[in-house]
Amino acid sequence: MNYPFWDAPLGYGILTAGIAVLHVFISHFAIGGGFFLVVSERAARRSGDSGRLEFLERLSRFFALATLVSGALTGVGIWFVIGLTNPAAVAVLIHNFIWIWAIEWAVFIAEITAAILYFYGWRRMTPAGHMTIGWIYFVFAWLSLFFINGILTFMLTPGAWLATGRLWDGFFNPTFWPSLVIRTCICGMLAGLYALLVAAFCKPAPVKARMARLSSRWGLLGLAATLPALYWYWRAIPAAVTTAALQGLPTPMQALRYSYWFAGCIAALLLVFGLILARRLHAIVAALIMAAGLGWFGSFEWFRESIRKPYVIAGYMYGNGVEVADAAIYQKDGYLPHILYRSEDDLADLFRHACRSCHTMQGYKALKPAFEGTDRAFIAAIIRGAHLLRGNMPPFYGTAAEADYIAAYIDHRLDQRSLATLSGLQGVSLGKKVFEIRCGKCHPMGGRSDKTKTLAGLTGEDYRNILDNAATLGAGMPAFTASETDRNALIEYLKTLKAGEEK
Amino acid sequence: MNLPDSNFLSAPLWLITGLHILTLSMHFAAMNFMLGGILVAAAGTRTRHRDHPMFRRLMALLPSAMAATVTLGVAPLLFLQLVYPHQLYPAAIVSGWFWLLVIPVVILAYYFLYAGSFGSKTSARSGAGFLWAALPCLVYVSLLYSSVFSLAERPDLILRLYRQSQSGLLGNPEVGYSLLRWLHMVLGAAAVGSFFASLLAKDDPELFHVFRKIYGWAIGIASAAGLAYLISLREAMSGLLRGTGAWVLAAGILASLGSLYLLWHRRFVLSAVILSASLVLMVTTRHQLRLWQLRGQFDPASWRIAPQWAAIALFAAFLAIAAAAIVTMLRLFYRHQPHS
Repeated sequence: MNYPFWDAPLGYGILTAGIAVLHVFISHFAIGGGFFLVVSERAARRSGDSGRLEFLERLSRFFALATLVSGALTGVGIWFVIGLTNPAAVAVLIHNFIWIWAIEWAVFIAEITAAILYFYGWRRMTPAGHMTIGWIYFVFAWLSLFFINGILTFMLTPGAWLATGRLWDGFFNPTFWPSLVIRTCICGMLAGLYALLVAAFCKPAPVKARMARLSSRWGLLGLAATLPALYWYWRAIPAAVTTAALQGLPTPMQALRYSYWFAGCIAALLLVFGLILARRLHAIVAALIMAAGLGWFGSFEWFRESIRKPYVIAGYMYGNGVEVADAAIYQKDGYLPHILYRSEDDLADLFRHACRSCHTMQGYKALKPAFEGTDRAFIAAIIRGAHLLRGNMPPFYGTAAEADYIAAYIDHRLDQRSLATLSGLQGVSLGKKVFEIRCGKCHPMGGRSDKTKTLAGLTGEDYRNILDNAATLGAGMPAFTASETDRNALIEYLKTLKAGEEK
Repeated sequence: MNLPDSNFLSAPLWLITGLHILTLSMHFAAMNFMLGGILVAAAGTRTRHRDHPMFRRLMALLPSAMAATVTLGVAPLLFLQLVYPHQLYPAAIVSGWFWLLVIPVVILAYYFLYAGSFGSKTSARSGAGFLWAALPCLVYVSLLYSSVFSLAERPDLILRLYRQSQSGLLGNPEVGYSLLRWLHMVLGAAAVGSFFASLLAKDDPELFHVFRKIYGWAIGIASAAGLAYLISLREAMSGLLRGTGAWVLAAGILASLGSLYLLWHRRFVLSAVILSASLVLMVTTRHQLRLWQLRGQFDPASWRIAPQWAAIALFAAFLAIAAAAIVTMLRLFYRHQPHS
């Protein structure tokens, strides 16, 4: 709460992910591509394959333009965007890992110098000298990954650091090694995909076919190697996190499912167009394979980011920048006295610091559709019990009055008409909608905390009693504050429930 | 469980400050060469000397200068964020959209420089068109940096601005103050650019004379802008001049004049060394000014210090290894003759 809140009309998750995924897609190619170039150059020089050398020179031009410019600057872009969207988290990372970042900077300087000299050195250096620079490039590029990987994995699995606060406990955390292996394999795969794109422009056809096959083999081998590494990575994540994800977090599991599909697409396309029909490889197909690679890598990063929820640094800081250690202070004082940068609207300030890091009113993770047709008391209750929702929401540590302020802020921006009017529904259909909006947030049918079995087969009177006493049924349960129309419709819907059946 | 407290500096303040000043000086050297080089090359191709090979050589160097600027700029930003997070992030957030726009704008400028470099292989003039295109991009970035970094020295102003708007669409309203700072930087870049241009043209007496003259004028005007900037700071200036800062500033000005004198007498290496020293002294002055500006609101010495000596030693080792690798690669690059 020591920083102002950048209130831009966009989803910060999407903004950060857009820049970060683009960066990792290029920067991993920068590592794998360096290895690909120098290994292939060595083979081409040994066999006197001038066609392959020409291809490699062209690839190195593409390599330099992509990695030196877009790769390097999107990396800086991540710094810029996270400094805007979650400065508190960046400050924690910088204060703990400044020297790791400084080391990464030192190796990055050598990496960039090597990339420039390798690119300009094709026609002015001896083969041995040129390849030496290529090897130096690869070593420093991979070292750069090594060091950044420690900080990235720390955010998901800080491990013993939470107890000791020691740098190396945080750096060599439980997912450090599996993540390093996965990323190294991805580097190899991306080298193949980028090279395939350049190969698609090669002439004559026999050279094109040879280069396409070579590139595709790299792509397939890299992809295949990531699979066992991914399993190792999954096993290294604390069981409590993976179990919670399997039981109640749809986002990371959905991301994982997407990654399977993308992996399948990449493998199939590489096999058919990269190996079997290599002579006829078209640039559009190569670009499609690249896009699938971006989708695959993006899915993996999405999985990694979303399984960490509700934290930005697991066990230490929540996604909204609230530190776990400060819980008692906020519970005592509330948030407002600790918000340093204030506008003249307390409600908006509270909303920004408690919710806005992840949610917008309309758009990314929108609250308007989630709360339309409800009321201020219900919204306040949901805020107070946010941590009970699905396990991916940070707890609200502010006071009850502050929860009510935030609820007022949200409620004021909702369409105030009744749910029946808004949805155009009535009877059982309206009841189903009431259930989804008021009950389904915590008790989704077929999901975590599904209450179908308990609720099925009761009488109308039973349902009315349950709704009247909802607030007493358990911690976090809101009182049922809907209109009489909504209440009757919900009861009609509940009467239709059958145990074990999803409606 | 008692969770770790992350509010600490993992090295003594003097070490972080020293590294910040050193790396920022390196960044400025590269940035000045790039920005000044663009100005010199773009303007030079509009003169009767446009076909001089020196312009093509300069254009060919500009993308690498941009790479050096970006890469060397990472470390000082890192050290700045470490010590001044409560000043820098709020200043960036108030100008959020403009701050974020820096990235695509620099990418665009970078590609223009590559296009200029490739285009100059046919003629310097065709490459120069791209340099003119890159120039407004870099003017934007430099203006924004002046605005944000000068705002970061005014926490009270950030509080006021944030109260007005939270959408990240504000700049530093004290335009005169940040413009003077910007003007001093850009003129300094023009001076350094013309210094390097005179080195590249040292075998052509006429052109050497022109750049030497430009260098002299640029130093003079940059000093005047710097002085005006200092005067605009009022209290911070008087504080600076009462302490050791006055000596550092005086030494910096003398070093700039010394480098001009040495360049005039064709003592190139010594002139470059003195110019570098003047850059370090100016960056040190800038650091002292920041401390004066923040006096009473924030003192970097208030940070708790918990050094991570093993990591610092590892950083020193990797820095040495990287430096050795760079020297080795440059020797390899310049030693070997063309093989085809």
